[in-house]
Amino acid sequence: MANTAETAAAPGTPVVRLDGVSREYGKASGAFAAVSDLSLDVPRGSFTTLLGPSGCGKTTTLRMIAGFVRPTSGRILLEGADATSTPPEKRNIGMVFQSYALFPHMTLRDNVAFGLRTRRIAKPEVLRRAGEALELVGLSHLADRRPAQLSGGQQQRVALARAVAVRPSVLLLDEPLSNLDARLRVQMRQELLRVQRETGLTAVLVTHDQDEALELSDHLVIMNGGRLEQQGAPREVFPAPANRFVAEFLGYQNFLTVPGHGPVTVRPEHTRLLADGEAAGGDGVLLDAQVRGVTYQGSHCLVEVAAASGDGEATLHCLHPGDDVRPGARVRIALPHRHLVALAGGAGTEDR
Amino acid sequence: MFRRSAMVALLVPGLAVLAFGFLYPVAATLAAPPDGDPATVARETAALLSDPYLLPVIARTIRVAVVTTAACLLLGFPVAYLISRAPARWAGRLLALAIFPLMLNTVVRTYGWLVLLGSNGLISDVSAALGLGRPQLLYTETAINLGLVQLFLPIMILSCYSSLSQQDPRLEEAARGLGASPGRAFRQVVLPLAMPGALVGCTLVFAGAVTAFTTPQLLGGARERILSTLLYSRVNVSLDWPAASAVALVMTVLVLAVSVLSGRLTPKGSAQ
Amino acid sequence: MIRRPFLTLLAAVAFTIMLGPVVILLGVAFTAGSTLTFPPEGLSLRWFGAALAYQPFLDSFRTSVVVALTSTLFALALGIPAAVALHRGSLPGRRVLENLFLSPVIVPELVLGLALFQQIMVGLHSTATAALVLGHTVLLLPYAVRVAGASLALADPRLEEAARGLGAGPVRTFFSVTLPVMRPGILSAAILAFVTSLNNVPLSLLLTGPGVATLPVEMLNYVQSSFDPVVAAVSVLLLAGSVAVALVTERLVGFTKVFGR
Repeated sequence: MANTAETAAAPGTPVVRLDGVSREYGKASGAFAAVSDLSLDVPRGSFTTLLGPSGCGKTTTLRMIAGFVRPTSGRILLEGADATSTPPEKRNIGMVFQSYALFPHMTLRDNVAFGLRTRRIAKPEVLRRAGEALELVGLSHLADRRPAQLSGGQQQRVALARAVAVRPSVLLLDEPLSNLDARLRVQMRQELLRVQRETGLTAVLVTHDQDEALELSDHLVIMNGGRLEQQGAPREVFPAPANRFVAEFLGYQNFLTVPGHGPVTVRPEHTRLLADGEAAGGDGVLLDAQVRGVTYQGSHCLVEVAAASGDGEATLHCLHPGDDVRPGARVRIALPHRHLVALAGGAGTEDR
Repeated sequence: MFRRSAMVALLVPGLAVLAFGFLYPVAATLAAPPDGDPATVARETAALLSDPYLLPVIARTIRVAVVTTAACLLLGFPVAYLISRAPARWAGRLLALAIFPLMLNTVVRTYGWLVLLGSNGLISDVSAALGLGRPQLLYTETAINLGLVQLFLPIMILSCYSSLSQQDPRLEEAARGLGASPGRAFRQVVLPLAMPGALVGCTLVFAGAVTAFTTPQLLGGARERILSTLLYSRVNVSLDWPAASAVALVMTVLVLAVSVLSGRLTPKGSAQ
Repeated sequence: MIRRPFLTLLAAVAFTIMLGPVVILLGVAFTAGSTLTFPPEGLSLRWFGAALAYQPFLDSFRTSVVVALTSTLFALALGIPAAVALHRGSLPGRRVLENLFLSPVIVPELVLGLALFQQIMVGLHSTATAALVLGHTVLLLPYAVRVAGASLALADPRLEEAARGLGAGPVRTFFSVTLPVMRPGILSAAILAFVTSLNNVPLSLLLTGPGVATLPVEMLNYVQSSFDPVVAAVSVLLLAGSVAVALVTERLVGFTKVFGR
C-alpha cells in the first residue's frame, strides 16, 4: 500500500469514502450487523461527526476507518485509494481514544514522539515536531512528566497532540470528551476546534452528545441501528429532521399527525398557546387542547397539553411566555405552517 | 468496629500454630538437627560449599532454575498475551485449560515424560526408526528442564495474564494507529507494561524450580542431582542429618535471595 | 486467519508441553501390555483393576483425604479469624502480622518437611499422621488468610457499621454480616487448600510412618521401584476426579477464579 498522503488525489476527493460497508458479528445463523451497507464521504478539511445512541454502529465505523476492525463487506477508500485491508499502521491516521490510551511508561514527549519515531524521521526533527505538538495544546512545560501525573483534561490534550503530531490524513476522535466532567467538556470542545482549524486536518468525531455534535461539526452524520439516518450540515439537519428517530435524537418532543400534512414535528418554542377567545393571527393549524401540567422555568413556562390531532390525542410541549395557565384549563394551540416539519412515515422509530 | 482486644484474640491461635509448626522447627533444623550442635551445620555448610562433588549440584540447581524460568517466560508469555486478547468466551476456556494441570499432583504430571523419554519411549523409537540411534534422554538435565517447564508454565501464564489482562487494549491500538507494526507495538508497549507480572512469574518459577522435588527425582534421578534430590538422599539414604540441614540452608538462602532481589526490582506503585 | 503466527506457534508449543504428557497417560493406562509404552499395545482395563487391588494405594488415598480434610478445616478455622482481625482490626503492625501469616510460602516445602520430621516426629515422638496434619495446616494457612481475606478487603466495612447501627452486637454482626460476605472467599480458599494438600509431595515426602504415607508419595515410590502402568491408571482416576472437582468449582465460584490466583 503506497503512502496515501503522497498520492493525494484531486482536492475534491473525499479523504475517507465508505462504499457499502457492513460489519457483522457472530455466526451466519445468529449474525448481528453492527454496521449495514453504509456509504459515506468525509469531505476534505471537514469536521465530520458520527452521531447516534450507543450501539448505533458509530464506533465500529470509526474503528473500520482506523483499520482495527475489518468490514465483512464493502470498501474503504482513503485519499481515493482502496485501503480496506491495509493494516492500521499504514493508514496514516491519528486517533484519539475515549480512554486516552497514553503509554503510561513513557513521558509526554515520548508519547507524542512515538508516531514520529515509527516513521523513521531524523531525531532532531522528531523532537522539534513533538515539541511543536505539545506547544499547540499548551503543555510544553510538562513534557518530561508521565501521564499518571496529569489531570484528565491534560491527558486528553496530550492524546490530541500525539495524534496530530504525525500530520495524519484524517484525525479520528472516539468520544474523546466523554470522560471529562461537564464544565471541562464544554471548554475542550473549543480547544478541539481550535487545534483542528490551526492544523487544517480533516477530523471524524464519534459522539452521542447532540450539543457537542452541533457545536463542533460542519458535517453531521446521524446513525441508528448500523444504518445512516440522515447527513448534512448541522444547520440543514437540525431544522429539518428527516424522520422521527432523528427528530427525537435532536431533542424534538412534539409528534402529531395534522390533516393535510401527515406526520409532523414542531419545536416547543414554535407553538403558541392561545387563551379563550384570543385570535390566532397568521396562518397555521389550530388544535383544541387541555393543559396537563405547567413547569415554571423563569423566563417562560413549559406547558404540557393534550391536544386533539389528526390521529387522536397527542401530547405537546409548548413554551409559553406568561405564567397564566393552570392544569385543567381549556386552551387552543396554534402551530404555524412554516414551523411544521414533515417526517418520513414512521421511519426510524421501530426500536426506540 | 470490633474491640481491639477481641481482634488480637482472633490472631492468637493462628500465630501459635505458626510458631509451633513452622517457626520453631524450621529455625531449629536450620540451626542444628536433634543430634547435632550449631557448629556441625556450619561445618557441613562450609564442606558443601567447597566439596568438588557438591558444587556442581548447586551450579546445576541454579542452571536448571534459570533455564526453566527463561523457557517458561518465552512460552508462557505468548499464551498469556493471546488469552488476554482473545474474545471473552475463548479466553475463559483457554485460561481454564492452562490452569487445569495445577489440579494434578506432580507425579501424574511428570509420569508421561517417562513414557516419552524412556529408553524404549516414543521419542527413542522415532529416533531409532530414523536411523539416529537411541539417545539417552531420561536422567539428563534436559529431561529435568522439560519436566519443570511443564510443571511451572501455568504459574508463569497466570502471572503474565494478570498484568496483561489489566492492560488497556487501546494502548496497543494507539501504537498501531501511530504507525507501529504489530511487532513494534508488542515490544515497545505491551511488553514493558507487562513487566511487573512477568517478574512475579519469574520469581515464582525460579523459586519453584529450585525447590521442586518429584520432577528432578523422576527425570534426573541419582545421575543428575539437584539440591532438593540431594537433600532427600542425605536424609533417606545416607541418614546424614547435619548434611541435610546444610543443604536445606543453602536452598532456603537461595530462594530468599531471589525473592528479595525481585522485590527490589519491582518498582513501587508501578503501572498496575 | 492467524494474525500472530510466531506467538501462536510458541503458545502451541506451550500447550503441547503442558498437556502432552498428561494425554500420553490416557493411552498408557488403557494398555493391554505390561510395559510403559505409547502407543498402547491393545486396550484393556487390567491396570485399573490392579490399581484398585493394590492395598498401599487404597490406604494412602484414605490418609491423603483425611489429612487434606483435617488440615483444610484447621487452616480455615485459624485463618478466617486471622483474616478478619487483619482486615477489620485496625491493628498496629498489620503488615508485619500479615507477612508472618504468609511466610510459610517462602520456605521450601521440602525444608519444612525435613524440619517437621526432625523436630516434631523424631524430637517430640509424634505420629506421622499428626505431623502431616500440622505441616499441611501450616502450608494451607497462607491460602486461607489471603483468599478469605481478599473477599473481606473488597467488601464495604460500612456493612458492619450498618449492622451495629441497626442494633446487632459484635458477635451477631460477625455471624450475620461478616461471615456471609466472606462466603465466596471461604469456599474458594477451601477448594484451593484441599486440592493443594491432596497434591502435595515435598512436604509429605519425609513425614511417613509404618503404613502411613500420602497417595502422591506412595505413587512416587511405586514409580521408582517398578515400571508397569499401574500408576498411569491411578493417574487417570485422579484426572477424572480433578475434572469433576473443576466442574463443581466452576458451578460454585468459577474455576479460573479459584485456581487463577
